[in-house]
Amino acid sequence: MTDSPLESALLKLTDIQRQAVEWDQGPLLVLAGPGSGKTQVLTCRIARLLDRARDQNFRVLALTFTNKAADEMKGRVAGFVPGLEDRATIGTVHSFCGQILRQHGVHLGINPDFAIYSADDDRKAVLEDALQRARSEGKQASPDDVKYLALIDRLKSKLIEPAAAGAALASLDDAKRVVATYQLYEDELRRVNALDFNSLIFEAYRLVKTYPAIASRYRRSYPHWLIDEFQDTNSAQYQLVRTLAGDGFRSIFAVADDDQIIYGWNGASYKQIQSFLADFSAQLIQLPTNYRCPAAIVEAANRLVVYNAQRTSTKKPLIAGKTELKYPPSEHIQLRVFDTDEEEAAGIAQEIAGRDRSLWGQAAVLARTRALLDRMHKALQQREVPSVIAQRRDNFLSAEFRWLAASLRQIARPLDRRNVAVLVEAFNRLADSAVSVEQVITDAETTGRAYLVTWLETAGAQKGIRATETNLLTLLLPCATDPSGVKPAIEAILGEFGKKLVGPAADSDLGEDMAAWKELSRDIAGHIGKNAPLDQFLQELQLRSKEPSPKPDTVTLMTIHGAKGREFDYVYVVGLAEDVMPSFQSRQKGDLSPEMEEERRNCFVAITRTKECLVLSSAESYRGWRKTPSRFLVEMGLVNADEET
Amino acid sequence: MRITSLRIENFRSIKALDIELGETTVFIGPNNAGKTAILDAVRIALTRRWGQRGTGFTEYDVHLAHENDDPKASAGIAIELRAEEAAPHEWPDEIVQAVDEIVQTDPTTGKNSITLRVTCAWSAAEGCFQPAWAFLNAARQPLIAGSARRLNLERFWQYVPVFYLSALRDADDEFSARSQFWGRLLKAVEIPPALEGRVQKVLDLLNKKLLRADPRLAQIANTLSGATRVAARDRDGQVDLRLVPLKSWDLLSKAEIILRNEPHWPWLPLQRHGQGVQSLAVIFLFQAFVEHLLAELYEPESTPVLALEEPETHLHPQAARTLWTHVSALPGQKIITTHSPYFVQRVPFRDLRLVQLTENGTEIRWLPPSFSARVPHVPALDAVVAGTGGLLAYDRAARTLTVGGKLEVATYRDLLTCYGTHAERAVIQGVLRELREKSLLYMSDHELRALETFARRIRGEIFFARRWLIVEGQGEYLIVHALARALGYDLDEHGVSVIDAVNNGHPATFAALARALGIPWMAVFDGDPAGVGYVRAISAREFTAAHVAQRCNTLPAGTLEQQLLADGLEPELRAVLQSIGEANALTVDRAGLERCLDDNKTRYAAELSARIAADATLAPRMPQAFRDAITGLRGLI
Repeated sequence: MTDSPLESALLKLTDIQRQAVEWDQGPLLVLAGPGSGKTQVLTCRIARLLDRARDQNFRVLALTFTNKAADEMKGRVAGFVPGLEDRATIGTVHSFCGQILRQHGVHLGINPDFAIYSADDDRKAVLEDALQRARSEGKQASPDDVKYLALIDRLKSKLIEPAAAGAALASLDDAKRVVATYQLYEDELRRVNALDFNSLIFEAYRLVKTYPAIASRYRRSYPHWLIDEFQDTNSAQYQLVRTLAGDGFRSIFAVADDDQIIYGWNGASYKQIQSFLADFSAQLIQLPTNYRCPAAIVEAANRLVVYNAQRTSTKKPLIAGKTELKYPPSEHIQLRVFDTDEEEAAGIAQEIAGRDRSLWGQAAVLARTRALLDRMHKALQQREVPSVIAQRRDNFLSAEFRWLAASLRQIARPLDRRNVAVLVEAFNRLADSAVSVEQVITDAETTGRAYLVTWLETAGAQKGIRATETNLLTLLLPCATDPSGVKPAIEAILGEFGKKLVGPAADSDLGEDMAAWKELSRDIAGHIGKNAPLDQFLQELQLRSKEPSPKPDTVTLMTIHGAKGREFDYVYVVGLAEDVMPSFQSRQKGDLSPEMEEERRNCFVAITRTKECLVLSSAESYRGWRKTPSRFLVEMGLVNADEET
Repeated sequence: MRITSLRIENFRSIKALDIELGETTVFIGPNNAGKTAILDAVRIALTRRWGQRGTGFTEYDVHLAHENDDPKASAGIAIELRAEEAAPHEWPDEIVQAVDEIVQTDPTTGKNSITLRVTCAWSAAEGCFQPAWAFLNAARQPLIAGSARRLNLERFWQYVPVFYLSALRDADDEFSARSQFWGRLLKAVEIPPALEGRVQKVLDLLNKKLLRADPRLAQIANTLSGATRVAARDRDGQVDLRLVPLKSWDLLSKAEIILRNEPHWPWLPLQRHGQGVQSLAVIFLFQAFVEHLLAELYEPESTPVLALEEPETHLHPQAARTLWTHVSALPGQKIITTHSPYFVQRVPFRDLRLVQLTENGTEIRWLPPSFSARVPHVPALDAVVAGTGGLLAYDRAARTLTVGGKLEVATYRDLLTCYGTHAERAVIQGVLRELREKSLLYMSDHELRALETFARRIRGEIFFARRWLIVEGQGEYLIVHALARALGYDLDEHGVSVIDAVNNGHPATFAALARALGIPWMAVFDGDPAGVGYVRAISAREFTAAHVAQRCNTLPAGTLEQQLLADGLEPELRAVLQSIGEANALTVDRAGLERCLDDNKTRYAAELSARIAADATLAPRMPQAFRDAITGLRGLI
């Protein structure tokens, strides 16, 4: 008999990896170092659970940190056990919460077709609406109160309800106003049937906490849970997991690396890992072998991370397991020192430009801050090396795609008044027209017709509207009354957009959005199926970043946070100087502070992205200030302590 | 899993209908009342290929209130099927996991449910009747996203496969090789390859021998092979004669049922037996199919839904009566229509649904164990609900208040108080008033059990009646039949059932039952203390005084015999008694006469009835109360 894809994948696992994959002794924590094959372990485990129970119907739940990771895992599972992948729910915590709330949110007054507001602009607008409404009802509320949004986010991320917020904010003078604003914001979200990212977690938590019967139901459908990147789970997410699990459920398989916690600022902590071990009486397996990096990098990473105290005490050092390397050991880690940050950018850019063009797509420049990346971007541009700064985008850049997304939302949620403003404003920008949002809303409400239809007529009647824009309106019109034809309409509208992309003067924002849209449609179709209904497509779209993958032969510039889970042949880490990495703030907190340890983990994550060659660089001055080389260079053994002084 | 309730809108004769379904539910009612529409609604929702154009319903299925209405202007057909657990964890894990995306879990009871809505309405954009389906959440909003995948619809169907046996079922069709049960059973027969090979050899050999038996056969084959030459091919084809089946499947497909009713009678194919046996055989074929093949073709956890029209077809009353036991024991959920009083005799009261066609379209009357209404939630409601010891329940997601019995005035007032300051109190109070009125129709389990015991003889018949005349005993029973016919109002012809209530339970129970089932009724009772007691008992069931006065007639002189004597029928009664063999009937004194009548209640009533039929002058002299009741029956709607 020929081996199935799953059997051959299982055969290729190491003993310890296989032990994790086949683990059936209850709760387990897998401490997996960078490049240790944890994704393979997770996907093999999911596939094996399903393969061994082909005649059963239970589902497997796998929670990931990013949608990209979820798509990747879903693809691998489908490859291992074709036809069974439907029984694996693989997604981010947020998307799983969305699923719970779509199905049972009605018990909290949330209707299934809720919108997800991810962009800060949208959320701010919601709060502004709420404040204005409150004023019109004679309540005390100032437009200034919008500034409390960040504070509200923090409260929500800690699962603190408006009713309990007063106590939590007791030290603030304006605690009362924050609480009132928080309540107004929540009421307004509910009124427009929308949720923000924090609400997804908070409401799902509230639902299963209030109604244990619903938690029990999910345990029944999903008797196996897997959690990836457990180290970056914040306390709200962990509370949700614990509540869903109830008192008896223990079938959880968590993969974590306490040396890769870089979301400490968001509440992630190595203590969460300790709590998990204690709360669930979990066993521990370690996957210390690194199959990604050359030995020199593994050793440097080991030397670096032992300076941290806040980590699992029994954690094993990484073991170098990579056997095939393309370059001689002298090129595995190299250090470059420059006089100034300008020269650093120029030097590194020059070095990248010197590599063969075909390797650029496999090169990444990592930095602690965005400012350093901007400088690198400019330096690379000067040398005509294409590069892109990778960053999550909550919204499209171009008016065209903002308008398309808003139109689709309006079709799916015809009564959404807030979206009317987005729709009208995006089109005004794109068509240089001046349709008034208030007018559209008033007209629609007096005539009793749909907002979308009313707007289409108003926009079409504008003087000086160009033929291309009229085309867009004509294409959208049939969908306003009958959503079933929305798919061909989208294709036709994309065709119209495509015409604008011809020629040298093409709008680069539009081009990027077009690429992102195509990629997103493909990814979402892969995740939820080609024929998924519009409302689900939109909810997925709202959860995902609107940023396209880099074009081929393009150097990727990212912050270390963005590089989480990624790997590249050539990695350049710039700005290895005191006050840069580690940051000024962490130095202020002290050499032994948790903040300093998180900086060290940032460095650890950065260097372990490398598959072939790592170049570290530092300059002797940044923005005109003299800086000493980063202590991490000393700790890694790349610079002598004497040299530093 | 079984279908626990059904909501139908704008479908054929049905304008709007909510129906609760049990393990077995029996629909009775006149022809064209809408019984088949109900069965069809279930069948179409569970078997048609939804979501593709040209599937689902047609314009002829759209309910039209008036002849000239345009089906395109209708809001469209909507059918909602709901399956709910009777208790948490009733459904096996396998089902809940397989259809996880469409299962709703009640947050307080923990019971799982699935609601499917299929609709069909005119779409101007598409220029056709557009079918659509959606699973619903607890608030009956469509579940979207993953839950709206077609896969879920197909899985749901897989767990509740529906089978339809129409009244016109034909044993010839049902036992053919292509039929839904028999054909699939035959196809599932597994023959070991070794046996298959041996069968093949035997068949070939047999064929050869038969061909050799008569040389003409070979010549025929030769002549026929000319056909292949005409087809103008390069090479000659061949024609062979096959006198026995070619394959073992051909043999199997000819398999048939033979049976004999007595040990020494000849075996005969089913089709040679009587219609009744054939009809029954088809029903039991369904059972065989479910037992042997359902789990294989569907899922081990699947529950078949059998829509069965007139199981009693062609059966002797005795057989129809015992049929209930067999039908209710059939596996899965049964939805049945019947016209047989004999069949209905054994059906539990709560399983019966009376289907009527009214000016509002098809309506259903039955004896529900509870009553519901939609009202918004207010905090005060929780305390009232909690204080009723389980009589009241409130579902917050569905905003539904349910009362599991009669809503007493005190509780009703408490409920009104809850909404005393509510912005929509006027509407809500109306809804609550309606709920209380509905709850007055409640018949307790206890009372129904008593009826099961005492009223078995008449219960088959009374459910098919259009009106009831409630009397005390058999004497009245006989006399009103004859009297009514003599007055030109034949009770049988007009669908009037006369219920001799005292022999079958309590008159007040029947009055309440009539109200609950929407059957118009009249009553005649004695004027003695017992009769007055019956009227009082009816009043106590929350009938208005005017209603009681209109419906209940009493014999002012006392008992039936006293009334007949008071109405001057003494000579006739003496003659009647004499003719039935009471020798001294003509001479006995008044007291003796009354005793004699008492001793011969049924016999004298029968003879008197015969005389009423023969002598037209007698009827106008019969007690006024009876004549009034009969006049009343004519006017009732």
